[in-house]
Amino acid sequence: MNWSAVILSLQVTAVATAFLFVFGLALALLLSRYSFPGRTIVETLVNLPLVLPPSVVGYYLLVGLGRGSPIFDRFDIHILFTWQAAAIASTIVGLPLMVQTSRAAIAGIDPNLENAARTLGSTEMELLWRVTFPLARRGILAGLVLGAARSLGEFGATLMIAGNIPGQTQTLPLAIYDAVQNRRYDLANRMVLVMTVISFGVLWWARRLEKNRRFK
Amino acid sequence: MKPDLKLNFERKLASFKLSVQLSVHAEVLVLFGPSGSGKTQTLNSIAGLVEPDEGEIVFDQTTFSRKTAGQARVSLPARSRRVGYVFQNYALFPHLTALQNIEFPLRKRGEARTRARDLLSKMHLEDLAGRYPHELSGGQQQRVAIARSLAADSRLLLLDEPFSALDSFIRERLHDELRSLQSESDLVVIYVTHNLDDALAVGNRLAIMREGRIEQAGDIETVLDHPANRSVLEILGLPNILGTSVTGHNDSLTTLDWNGLSLHIPHCEASPGTTMTAFISPNEIRIATAGQNHPNRFNGTVIRKQFGRMATRVIVRLENGCEIEVVPASNIPTIGENISVAFPVERIRMLEG
Repeated sequence: MNWSAVILSLQVTAVATAFLFVFGLALALLLSRYSFPGRTIVETLVNLPLVLPPSVVGYYLLVGLGRGSPIFDRFDIHILFTWQAAAIASTIVGLPLMVQTSRAAIAGIDPNLENAARTLGSTEMELLWRVTFPLARRGILAGLVLGAARSLGEFGATLMIAGNIPGQTQTLPLAIYDAVQNRRYDLANRMVLVMTVISFGVLWWARRLEKNRRFK
Repeated sequence: MKPDLKLNFERKLASFKLSVQLSVHAEVLVLFGPSGSGKTQTLNSIAGLVEPDEGEIVFDQTTFSRKTAGQARVSLPARSRRVGYVFQNYALFPHLTALQNIEFPLRKRGEARTRARDLLSKMHLEDLAGRYPHELSGGQQQRVAIARSLAADSRLLLLDEPFSALDSFIRERLHDELRSLQSESDLVVIYVTHNLDDALAVGNRLAIMREGRIEQAGDIETVLDHPANRSVLEILGLPNILGTSVTGHNDSLTTLDWNGLSLHIPHCEASPGTTMTAFISPNEIRIATAGQNHPNRFNGTVIRKQFGRMATRVIVRLENGCEIEVVPASNIPTIGENISVAFPVERIRMLEG
C-alpha cells in the first residue's frame, strides 16, 4: 500500500475542507441572503468547475499562481508543485458542492425566524450564530462533506499545478494512475478499493444528513 | 408615566400606499381589516423590520424612525427598539426548547434563568420548559411566543393574527390572559386581526384599516355605533346595510326610498334625491304581530336560519327583494313562514353617501 499517498491525500483534503468551510459558507450566505449587482455572475463562476474540464481549471490556476502572476510577483509566494497547490485545486473543485448545498439550507429558513431574532435584540452577527447556522447546520455539514469528498477525488487540476511527485504531491488518485501505468495492478486494486470505500461512506453520510432534518 | 405610541408615516407597497396616522396609549388597540390591507406592514414598520418612506414613529419619547424634510433622519435598528413582536406563525426557534426560546433575548445567564422561569409561570408553561416547539400545541406555542416577546422588558407588544389558528375556547382564555397582562404592566398592545369576534373580545380600541389607510379609530363602542363611512360598515361585516335615497320630509320624519319601500327615519336636513346609507342592528328589528301599526312595517318570508352561540339569526326576504338579518327577541319563526318586521324609527342609523 502506498501510505505516503494516503496520508498526503488526507492532508490535502483536510486543508481543502477548512477552506471550503470558510469561503464556501461565506459565499453561501452572500448568495442566499443578499442581492447585489453581479450576483448571477458570482454564482456562475462558483459553479464553473462543475462543468469545466479539470485541465482548464488547472490551467487557470497555473497562470494565476505561477511566475508572472500578481500572487507570485507581489507576495513572493511560490506554491506551484507543492501540496499546498493541490489543496487549492481541491478547494476550487469542491466549492460548487459546498455552496449549492449550504445555500439551499440557509435559503430554506423562515425569514421570520431571523426577524424574530432581530426584534429580540440580536445583531446580524449574533443571529447568524444563534439562529441561521444552527438551523442550517445539517445542510452546511452535508455540503461540507460532499465538497470534501470531491476534494479527495481531485485528479486533473492537481496534476496540472502540483505535478505527480511521489511523497510530495502524489495524492491517492495520482498514485492509482501511476500504479496502472506501471502495471502494478495489485497496488492499484487496493488503492481503488480504499478510494471507493471512503467515497461511498462519505456520500452515504451526506445523503443521510440531508434527509434526516430534525426541524421542518 | 404610561407610554404611548405615535404613528405618522407612509410607505409605498406593491398595490397601494400605506399611510398610517394613529396614536396608541397603554391599551389594547385592535387593528382590524381585510387580508392585504397593510396591517402586517404596519407592525413591521413599528418593529423596524421595514423602513417607512416618510414620516415618524415615536414610542414613549424614543424616536424609532423619522424621515421628514428638514429634520435629521433617525432609524433605530429593530434590535434596539425593544418591541415585543408575536408573529403570525409564532416564529419560535425550532432548535431551542420553550425555556431557551424565552431566554433568547436575555443576556446575563443567571438573570435569564430567573426571568424566564417567571415568565413561564406567568403564562402557565412551567411543565413545558424542556419541550421543543414541535412538541407543543398551537396554544402553548402561542404562549411561549408571548412570553419570549415580553422577556426583554418590552412595553410595546405587537401581535399579528395571534389566535387565528386556535380553538375558540383556548382563544378566549388567551384573550383574558392578554388583557390582564396589558393592565398589569401598562403595555401598549397592538393586536392585528381580521376576525371581528377576536377584535371585540380583546380590544379597548378599534382601528379599521383598508388599503393602507386607517378608515376610523376609536373606542370599540363608538366605532360600532357610529361608523365613519360605508367602507367601515362593510369591513366590520355588519348586516342590514340599506342603500336609500331621500324622497321627502314632514315635521318629524324624513322618508327614504329603499328599493321601492318607504323607510322613515327621524327628521334630517338632507335634500330630496340625496343617497344615504341606513343600517340597523339585527337585534333592533322586531317581529311585528298582526294588527300592530308601525311606520316601518314590512312583510317578508323567512328564508334561512343561522345558529349562533348567543342568538339565532333569521334571514328574511322582504317584499322589495332585499334580505335582512333579524335576531328575534322571543319566538323564532320557522323557515318559509311569512312574517312582518318593524324597524323602530329611532334605531335606524344613517350615513351620508
